[in-house]
Amino acid sequence: MSEPTPGRKASTTEQILDLLLDALAERQRARGSGPHAPAPAAAGEGKGTPTMTPAQAGEGRAPAPLPAPAREREVTRRPATLAEAATREPAPLPVIPPRPGEKGWQPPARLPSIQMHKFLARLVIAIALLVVAINIPIQRHGVSLARILPDSASLIIRDGLVLKGSGENIYMLQDEQLRWISSMDVFEHLGLTWGDVRVVGDTFLEQFEMGRPIYRIVKCKASPHIYALEEGKKRWIRDIETFTAEGYVWEDVQLVDCRYLRNLPDGVPIPEDAGPPPQP
Amino acid sequence: MKDLAVIETILRNRFHFFVEIRDGIGLKEKMRAMLISSLIFLAIYGAVMGSSASLWQALSSAAKLPLLFVATLVICSPTLYFFNVLYGSNQSLTQNVALMLTAITVTSVLLLSFAPIVVFFLLTTSGYQFFKLLNVAFFAVCGVVGVAFLSQGMRVVSSAGEEGARARRWVMWLWVLVYAFVGSQMAWTLRPFIGAPSMKFELFRQLGGNFYANIFASLGEVLGFFVVK
Repeated sequence: MSEPTPGRKASTTEQILDLLLDALAERQRARGSGPHAPAPAAAGEGKGTPTMTPAQAGEGRAPAPLPAPAREREVTRRPATLAEAATREPAPLPVIPPRPGEKGWQPPARLPSIQMHKFLARLVIAIALLVVAINIPIQRHGVSLARILPDSASLIIRDGLVLKGSGENIYMLQDEQLRWISSMDVFEHLGLTWGDVRVVGDTFLEQFEMGRPIYRIVKCKASPHIYALEEGKKRWIRDIETFTAEGYVWEDVQLVDCRYLRNLPDGVPIPEDAGPPPQP
Repeated sequence: MKDLAVIETILRNRFHFFVEIRDGIGLKEKMRAMLISSLIFLAIYGAVMGSSASLWQALSSAAKLPLLFVATLVICSPTLYFFNVLYGSNQSLTQNVALMLTAITVTSVLLLSFAPIVVFFLLTTSGYQFFKLLNVAFFAVCGVVGVAFLSQGMRVVSSAGEEGARARRWVMWLWVLVYAFVGSQMAWTLRPFIGAPSMKFELFRQLGGNFYANIFASLGEVLGFFVVK
């Protein structure tokens, strides 16, 4: 056990370990021969002289030379260690309590009840009431406390977002451009409600370019005339030049029922000097 | 009310609770109490989250959040059970489910304890991304504590000193990863839970993207790197 491998010089650590193991073996032997039996290892100890281990002594071998610093440590440490090892009672090993689930483990004593379920029930009721309270509409527009804060900071920027600044105009965001919704007809035609309108600061609106306004341009199948719907009235658009000059595009034109169109009152034609509007 | 008493037992006398699960004492009653408590707590937390968008969203989230946890449990429980059996566990499936329910119950009660804080931020801030991240953080904290309970429970119930205990511990932690992935994907599938303020109410949103990319995007917006579109 304590013999170094032939051809290899034992390291200091190995030597110290060997000495410790030998000391342990010594102590066991001393125990076996009686509580007060002298330790044989102590006999060979001398100040400043490296001592042979019992195993080495038994074989008549000299101890392996130690490097100088290690030798010094050995000389100063060893006598105390070995003497103590031989005479002192073995120190009790620290007892590691078994971990949960291991053999011999016992759960800690049960703690008395603190009636937590009553508190929990009250907490559940309180939060449920709070949820109801913050969802009750408190404004004439039906906005509840939970959603009363201006939400410009929480908007997801997306196409179709309806925004309103401090002015009257309402815009729809499309392709990162603000498109003015030109009338309530358009607003309703787009299927929007006031709940869809997000009131934001003007600075929030300023970050977007202005795009083409959204008009409601209609015609019916039986008539070649095109009208712009504004404020519940139909405004006749005189010709194609006017149509394009106003910024309308053909994609905006929707087909509606002729009777519906005829029933709408006439507004000012486009342009205003276009003359009396024809009926569809 | 009686079912809520199980929370105190789990939080204050957890080892006794685990020992009883190990010994199969009152498993059905325990599971029923944990399930009812969890469903109530999660429904309330879901309602709080959804309140930021609309009443419909609040009701929808109140129904979907418990569904999220129960569905994830149902999907993941066989994996844990069979892998545990493979590595020498003698637990029954019921005991496994009871332990997982313990973790869910702990998670849900902790979420409930966060609910007043969520309400506070709901009323005092208007940042959707911040609100979303706040909730994700709360879920993460509560989930980690729940999983720690599961780990302790597994130690007790599957007798840590016996053969294969080390392998079973590995199985459990790997299963926790799977559970987290399944849970996050399930949450993504069942979204929205909060509801973006500029979007109309929808019970389920179209699939696309993923949970992690969305969280990183939200984080990016909160830190001012870009705007989520």
